[in-house]
Amino acid sequence: METKAIQHLYSRVGFGILPNDIPSLSGLKKEDVVAQLFSKSREADPLKIDLAELDDFIDNDSRQKLSRAIRQELRKKSRQKIKDYNSAWISRLVTTDQQLREKMVLFWANVFVCRDNHIFHVQQYNNTLRKHALGHLGDFLKAVAKEPAMSKYLNNRQNVKEKPNENFARELMELFTLGEGHYSEYDIKEAARAFTGWSFRPNGEFFLRQKKHDTGVKVFLGKSGNFDGNAIIDIILQQKQCARFICEKVYRYFVNPRVNQQHLNEMVAVFYPKYNIEKLMEHILLSDWFYEDENIGAKIKSPMELLVGIQRIVPLTFAKEKQLLYLQRTMGQVLLYPPNVAGWKQDRNWIDSNTLLFRMKLPSVLLNDTVINVDQKGDFEDSFEKYYADSRKRARKLDVEKDWTIFDLEFLALNRDEIRESLIRGKIDGDTLIFLDTLTNLDPKEYLVQLMSIPEYQLC
Amino acid sequence: MKRREFIQRSSLASGTLLVPNFLKAVESSVLGGANHKRVVVIQLSGGNDGLNTLIPYTNDIYYRSRPQLAVKSNDLIKITDTLGFHSQLKPLMRLYDKGYLAILNNVGYPNPDRSHFRSTDIWHTASGSDEYLTSGWMGRYIESHGQKPYNAIEIDDSLSLMLKGENMNGIATKNAKLLHNNMNTPYFKKILNQQTDQHLSEHNLGYLYKTMIEARSSAKYIYETSKTNPSKKQYPDNPFGKQLKTTAEFINSRLDTQMYYVSMGGFDTHANQVNTQSRLLHIYSDAVETFVQDLDDNGTLENTLILTFSEFGRRVQENASRGTDHGAANNVFLIGKNLKKPGFFNSGPNLNDLDANNDLKYDIDFRSIYATILSNWLGVEQKSILRTSFDTLDFV
Repeated sequence: METKAIQHLYSRVGFGILPNDIPSLSGLKKEDVVAQLFSKSREADPLKIDLAELDDFIDNDSRQKLSRAIRQELRKKSRQKIKDYNSAWISRLVTTDQQLREKMVLFWANVFVCRDNHIFHVQQYNNTLRKHALGHLGDFLKAVAKEPAMSKYLNNRQNVKEKPNENFARELMELFTLGEGHYSEYDIKEAARAFTGWSFRPNGEFFLRQKKHDTGVKVFLGKSGNFDGNAIIDIILQQKQCARFICEKVYRYFVNPRVNQQHLNEMVAVFYPKYNIEKLMEHILLSDWFYEDENIGAKIKSPMELLVGIQRIVPLTFAKEKQLLYLQRTMGQVLLYPPNVAGWKQDRNWIDSNTLLFRMKLPSVLLNDTVINVDQKGDFEDSFEKYYADSRKRARKLDVEKDWTIFDLEFLALNRDEIRESLIRGKIDGDTLIFLDTLTNLDPKEYLVQLMSIPEYQLC
Repeated sequence: MKRREFIQRSSLASGTLLVPNFLKAVESSVLGGANHKRVVVIQLSGGNDGLNTLIPYTNDIYYRSRPQLAVKSNDLIKITDTLGFHSQLKPLMRLYDKGYLAILNNVGYPNPDRSHFRSTDIWHTASGSDEYLTSGWMGRYIESHGQKPYNAIEIDDSLSLMLKGENMNGIATKNAKLLHNNMNTPYFKKILNQQTDQHLSEHNLGYLYKTMIEARSSAKYIYETSKTNPSKKQYPDNPFGKQLKTTAEFINSRLDTQMYYVSMGGFDTHANQVNTQSRLLHIYSDAVETFVQDLDDNGTLENTLILTFSEFGRRVQENASRGTDHGAANNVFLIGKNLKKPGFFNSGPNLNDLDANNDLKYDIDFRSIYATILSNWLGVEQKSILRTSFDTLDFV
């Protein structure tokens, strides 16, 4: 397999590949390279952080007996732990060998968008994404629908026979499976009835509140029966539109933000009706079109792809978790804190004058100790002082420890062009190329930072 | 159709957002001029308690619902038989007396969302509560009527959804010099000075270069136009005062900017609301009064309309922590010299008729306010920006 193709593959289903990993792959056929990606991602490896001090929070029996003050304290700790989980997730992305699976998790987290402040439920949700990331869409949807975090986020907990709450049913169809215009308001009402009584215990287990569940006949997407939530999901999956909807998201994320209808049709034919996610991904990665020039460097990196991509070459340790959050906020993507149920808009929506400037400065901020003077926005919940707290320490440096070992091993032996090709595969602006050629006196580390600072590095 | 609109539309229609000779276009002179009307939008972020801002001091339900928090009738500035300003709003009272202030009560939208994030999104994008838009109303305005990022400026370091369009965005800065310097580090200079226009047609790569070039020229324009115009007014020494001072400097420099956005934080008063809100209202009204005088002294108040909103109001019933929780409809302030109907635009909230959540119902859809600003104030067609037509109101 060609080096350029391998690099492209790894930048899309992962966060890039290091130069020394290429020779062992370039002798292989595409089929074998792709097979290796899948085999590395075979088993889902749950991401867990230490939550022992919060165990009372999820004990089904003792939880009710906790005093208000203690519960408040637990909630506060829980919010802190979510920030820890955010860091842990990013570390996972930086260090994982399961690039494909973890990239899929990131993808799905922006399809089945969810946000919660209960760390156990957040962790459980995240690992459900991980478990099903390459599985079957039907199992996946049914698991997501039973997750406490989702149940809270889209008010399914409040969805009871006497007074159905349509929020989950609506977003299930509009944002998770079919897209607007492929169901009626009536379908939403009937689907909501089928999900009534779906609830969970403090420890995160799903359970059905029998008395709150509507067992009556529902008419949904032209079918009628005593449907429950699972049956609703099965009927949704019978719609070819569901396959098309998901395939389009996959295409935009992994292939090109501009959709080629012919490729999309091909994907739908593979995905429907079995909805095997692994088979779908395999089809894409084995296709010729995935590697065509028009798809190479066509996508604007998400802040996470940017941040993790840099760290896979130069791993960083943030002394202050807050600063890692600051970077995510300023670039507009804080993991576990999506803006709303529609998720991040991605591609060009990551970019405006301010974020682009910041993104291009990021490599020198992280790797060269450049001062940053961009304040983050305060939170809605902040006091007046806290809201503006940031603005008092205008210029600051990040407290990060840089580990150049990988870079030294992987890049020192390379010449300029090889370093460049390893980092950037898409077209490089001619004038910028000329500029890069003038950078002859830089040491390799400085050259790396300069390369990461050109607009082309924003693409993958 | 104006020539500028025509050019804008035809270029959109042909699908070539990246016109050749792009650099020349960027460097070319600024259209529009000093006569342009502008709007300044201030968000009281966190959800200001409107009921304790404009107090229905004769209402029994108000006093019954808020045994700890209600403002006593002898501790406020009475303006009508039923409503009074919070005592910290004296500066606002003076604007009211001059006829510079209009108060719109019960502003909201159908099926209100009580999440800060979501409700702010709704206000920023001018969407319904059941739709998720990717662009803000100011962003869409500059997309169809402006040309440059600086046509809409947020006084902050990062850009909010309100100023994001589909293919073009506003720009955020609270310090024009700093932004300008950031864009002119030796490295950026080198990269950008190298640029000829031949590669800008590449899809996303062209977009990045275009954004950078525009950002740089916007930063330069804002800085160079405003640097010679430091405000002579003494603003209150706090970050919000500073934001408004910067806004005034931009406006008084006659920047070709039709929309400004300033967000003031701290209003999420779930606990111990009384002192917190007093202080915030003081900071707000004090700074706003100075701002208005500053504009008036410089002859720019005439063409400026200042809108103050919160993403939601707060619950009528106080909570157990001497605070209030997230509510729904709220009051909105409009400040300007050309108000058609200064004072109270409509009557205060009806506490006898609350929604299912026991929150205030809305009488005025906030999108009608946007529609009015767009059609009656800025003189542009509202539909292309708001996507549907809303009734306009008779305030400007």
